[in-house]
Amino acid sequence: MLRHPASARQRETLLPYLLLSPGLLLLLGMLYPFFLGVYYSLTNYYLQYPHLFRFIWLRNYLKLLEDPLFSHSLKFTLSYAFVAVVVQVGLGLAVAVLLNSRIIGRGVIRGMMLMPLMMPPVITALMWKIMMASTKAGILNYLLSFLGLGPVNWLGAMNSAIVSIFIIDTWGNLPFVSLILLGGLQSLPTEPYEAARVDGASGWGVFRYITLPLLKPFIILAATFRVMDSLRIFDVIYAATVGGPADATMNLHMRAFFYAFQWYQMGMGMAYAMVLLILVFLASYILMGYWKRAAEQTSL
Amino acid sequence: MKQRMRTSWWMITVAFLILGGWVCWAAVEAIAAESDLAYFRQAKINWRQFEGQKLTIGLNKHPYTESLLPLIPEFEALTGIKVEYLILPENEYFAKLIADLSNQRGEFTAIMTGPMRNWTYASPGWILPLDQFLNDPKLTDKAWYKPEDFFPGLIGANRWNGKIGGGTGEGPLWSIPIMCESYILAYRKDLFDKYKIKVPTTYEEMAEAARLVKKNAGIDGIMARGTPNTPTIATGYISGTKSYTDGKWAEVDENMVARLADPRVVKFTQIWIDMLRESGPANWANMTWYDGMETFTAGQAGMYPDCDFFAQTYEDPQKSKVAGKVGYALLPPGPGGRTYSGLWTWALGMSKATKNKEAAWLFIQWATSQRTLLNATVEFRNYNPTRVSVMNDPRTQKVLGSWGNGAYVKTVQENLKTARVAWVPNPERGRLGDIWARALHEIYFKRLSAEDAMKRADQEINKIFKDIGLQK
Repeated sequence: MLRHPASARQRETLLPYLLLSPGLLLLLGMLYPFFLGVYYSLTNYYLQYPHLFRFIWLRNYLKLLEDPLFSHSLKFTLSYAFVAVVVQVGLGLAVAVLLNSRIIGRGVIRGMMLMPLMMPPVITALMWKIMMASTKAGILNYLLSFLGLGPVNWLGAMNSAIVSIFIIDTWGNLPFVSLILLGGLQSLPTEPYEAARVDGASGWGVFRYITLPLLKPFIILAATFRVMDSLRIFDVIYAATVGGPADATMNLHMRAFFYAFQWYQMGMGMAYAMVLLILVFLASYILMGYWKRAAEQTSL
Repeated sequence: MKQRMRTSWWMITVAFLILGGWVCWAAVEAIAAESDLAYFRQAKINWRQFEGQKLTIGLNKHPYTESLLPLIPEFEALTGIKVEYLILPENEYFAKLIADLSNQRGEFTAIMTGPMRNWTYASPGWILPLDQFLNDPKLTDKAWYKPEDFFPGLIGANRWNGKIGGGTGEGPLWSIPIMCESYILAYRKDLFDKYKIKVPTTYEEMAEAARLVKKNAGIDGIMARGTPNTPTIATGYISGTKSYTDGKWAEVDENMVARLADPRVVKFTQIWIDMLRESGPANWANMTWYDGMETFTAGQAGMYPDCDFFAQTYEDPQKSKVAGKVGYALLPPGPGGRTYSGLWTWALGMSKATKNKEAAWLFIQWATSQRTLLNATVEFRNYNPTRVSVMNDPRTQKVLGSWGNGAYVKTVQENLKTARVAWVPNPERGRLGDIWARALHEIYFKRLSAEDAMKRADQEINKIFKDIGLQK
């Protein structure tokens, strides 16, 4: 029997699926590990005790609540992300405004700003760890000694370790925030500024009532990226403090790593990771809602 | 014209000399390589029986690995087996290894492991006992390989009968040692002499010596690992607990119930932590073994109770400011007068899932043979040797004997008489160590008393062991 060639109508019906197939494959590639993670978080899965494996519903999540470090790491994760985002976006805005003005060497500074972005976070952390040595051999303490200050016990004491992680993280990510906001500043329309100049508005007034509102979508976008990254910060903490001293820098991601890859208790590790995922999802969902509204307002 | 001809002759002569030199050098190299190969061909096995197969070796970034890599072409020439390898930093290496072993993918044919690691890998059957290969005359010429040449304690450390809570030195051989470390006290002899400080023979004296070094020399009196994970426990500190209790105390009892809150251990821990708080580095809580070694090598610390083989860095004038100024002594003993140092050997083992098992064994046999281990030590500084013959080789003795004017060799040999794997065999050793290290942080930062911190650690460990079913 002869096969009939597919009719033009059939081909038309199939074409969208054909065109979509790479995207669908990609989606499948993303969703499969996600659902596997959800599944493992509901099991008693230890890598080295396969005989213990069974489905235990939400028992891992209940165990989380018993874990003395869960509430601590949750608090640290949230408060770190909040402070990091507020300060880094604030500083990033200041740097972006500075780089948008006519200062000498602006091009060179903009080029140099890219350098921290090129470095893997682990290398950044190890580099800073050397500079933050608690003795005068550490370059930061050496520099502080000229001002009659220090030596500071950067990574060896509980409070200073949190600040040090924040400094390392900010050094690595501030340029990213600044570049997003600088791009935003350069894309703003010139008409409102010209009208403000005609009306004799002050520099602060222009910034407060024109620049900031127009820049709002960019600020929210930068904040969204930073919230997501700060909630799941790992490399810097692992390389610089391993979550110490005395758990001072222990966050949810570190805890998930310890469970899954140090103690091979994958079920609990995945439960920690799922809590973190929910936090990241919620934070980015709320912020993207703000972003959408701000984008609509500024385009009106 | 004459001048030009003379120049040409000169050039030709020089070219011949260079070529001749190169040929001679290549010939000497070839003869040396052939002489090494001839040594291996004395073994009554067919080294080429698996010619054409391919091996992938999983290696940790370690001085041993540096010593092995230049020797691998010799194995390829000897066997016709192609060797590929993957080298990763320690944490990444173990994470990759566990993924490979647990999924039984068999990506790594031979692996770098060691006694405490074997407890985790052997329980679920991820690695193979090596006795079957060692006892197969088709694969091993035992008379040539001389397994009895290994220090018995080191081979024993790599045997385990699978019994949780005991059984080391018995049962299958899971891996063959390639380097070993025990834990001794390295101290600044020049400063101790200058300020008339006594080399400590008790932990109270150690704290006093640290205080005096800090007061007189203005540097850290004592150095120790301090990150909140197992390595902080695993060397000087655990050896101290075992010595302080005359080797009669273990971190878990026969029923796998944690006993960190034992009064003697609490007391020792208090001395140790007080000493570090008073005379140790300000950032102790952040110190890795490497930071400690670097600080001591830079002349910024008075004592470092840690790995013996760090001496090769201390005594290297190109890297060290303290070369020739370091003394070596046993860690202070307990009331019974004996030191019980911990012990670790890096060793080569085999994944059960590997396809080319026999070829992998030939590799392990070659890598742990007398000649290869001797070359690794003499030519590429792989310390400490695991074979008696390598340790006693005059070239090894010359290098080791020069450290601390002979004190190094004397101390290590004395230490190895009582050194043993410090931990009680169990697959949760890593987690136990992590919890223990966090307890030390609680004490150091005065969040809990030593007794309360250890009691809390015991509770946490017991709960986990119960959940997993390790407790009887």
